[in-house]
Amino acid sequence: MNPRDPFPQFDRRTFFRHGTASALALTAAGKLAGARLHAAAREPFAYDVSKYRNVDPALVRYEPVARFRCPKPEARRVSLGPDGRVYVAASKHICVLSPEGSPLAEIGCPVAARAVAVGHDGRLFAALQNHVEVFDAQGRPLAVWDVPKGRPFLTAIAVGSKDVFVADSGNRVVHRYDLEGKPLRRIGEKDAARNIPGIILPSPFLDVELGPDGLLRVNNPGRHRVELYTPDGDLERWWGRPSIAIDGFCGCCNPVGLALLKDGRCVTFEKGLPRAKVYDAEGKFECVVAPPDFFKDTGTEESVMAAEQTSHGGLDGAADAQGRVFILELASGLIHVLKPKQA
Amino acid sequence: MNLPPSNNAPISRRDFLRAGLRSAALAGLGGVAGLVAWRTGADNLVWQIDPQKCLRCGLCATSCVLEQSAVKCVHTFAMCGYCQLCTGYFEPDPIDLNTGAENVLCPTGAIIRKFVEDPYYEYTIDESLCIGCAKCVDGCNRFGNGSLYLQVRHDRCLNCNECSIARVCPADAFRRVPASRPYLLKTTH
Repeated sequence: MNPRDPFPQFDRRTFFRHGTASALALTAAGKLAGARLHAAAREPFAYDVSKYRNVDPALVRYEPVARFRCPKPEARRVSLGPDGRVYVAASKHICVLSPEGSPLAEIGCPVAARAVAVGHDGRLFAALQNHVEVFDAQGRPLAVWDVPKGRPFLTAIAVGSKDVFVADSGNRVVHRYDLEGKPLRRIGEKDAARNIPGIILPSPFLDVELGPDGLLRVNNPGRHRVELYTPDGDLERWWGRPSIAIDGFCGCCNPVGLALLKDGRCVTFEKGLPRAKVYDAEGKFECVVAPPDFFKDTGTEESVMAAEQTSHGGLDGAADAQGRVFILELASGLIHVLKPKQA
Repeated sequence: MNLPPSNNAPISRRDFLRAGLRSAALAGLGGVAGLVAWRTGADNLVWQIDPQKCLRCGLCATSCVLEQSAVKCVHTFAMCGYCQLCTGYFEPDPIDLNTGAENVLCPTGAIIRKFVEDPYYEYTIDESLCIGCAKCVDGCNRFGNGSLYLQVRHDRCLNCNECSIARVCPADAFRRVPASRPYLLKTTH
């Protein structure tokens, strides 16, 4: 064959080899293009939040150290005791776990437990749907407090040295009690004279935390912010803004949970696009504890995509004295323990 | 061969046809009567979407035999949070919370947003514009209370024997329900 021949003659073997390779390449390209077209045709109306799932890895400053599951279904709230134990309100139980996740005790409740907190004296304060019950450290019942007026639906509880604060999603207020259950004040109610706009709750996820500065942190999901109240009910300030961007609160109603680090920084928990983030004491976004992809294989994302996620999805959490964050996935009952990454 | 005389005289062709027609008429009358009795006694069945199973895939908008799908978004107001930032109404990251087309999620503008009082807004569906794409349903379910969901509207549905949407529904959410209770509506707890 003349090498300068611009139209070289192929033998049959070469012709078939090239033909087969070309056919394979064309088939592969066609399948790829077809798959993309098919996907686009199948989901022309997708509600796409995929691009917001990607978080700059430099912002994620926590790493997982442990993961365990609450032994009872329908876990609602998690809190930590002064002894480092993990307390979870789940179905009609208060589950007591070691920090490593070993079950230590279970306290039965007459109705569904929605939240739990441990006092400095070791007493357990459990929010049971519409009233509070108190147990001693061994789980023996001590007291049953009166049902608040209105339509109470208690969803969080925080205990101070002299007071107990109970978040009531039904009445959209935080009740302040003394340690013996005497009602003292309703905090967060709409009051134009005191410049309090009121708590907006499209879904029952009102949370309350008591900060080291003596101020209450209360989430106001309908306004996408965290509000700071004095124990006497004065609204001191608030922070937060609605945005699906990483420094804002996404969706219609977030954050759904709060936890405080010992230096006053606040960890927020969101539903819909599940994520946990840290804000400094002034409310400036600091870093991410767990981005949405952290939960992609654990059931929370499936619960979001399922038809009925409203009251079963979302996150809650707590923080211990070492700065570790415990994240409870409501859908799966998984508890993730994350610690700050080494600088 | 001589056969004994038979009591059954051979039937003539005319008698055979007459008896056959009479029997057919009687059978037809019986059938009509039975059909009437069945229709009055038993309920007809119609297609409906189970909102607890629906995955908001969007196929309802494109698979119905009608030019505009018989599936529409409906709204249970008792479940709605009347949110200012409704994720069924607004794009995931709206530029502003107003009715500008760049902020609105619905591809046909079928959701009407009306101010109630600060910070509450009411959202209603214009069914003449809704194409049943479930984009709003997905937004509402993902972040909110799930008060928006899809239903087959029976003023439009042809009630095909083999519903073309049911055939492709990935969640098997289509089922037959009695025509006397044709909707599967969500309620508050």
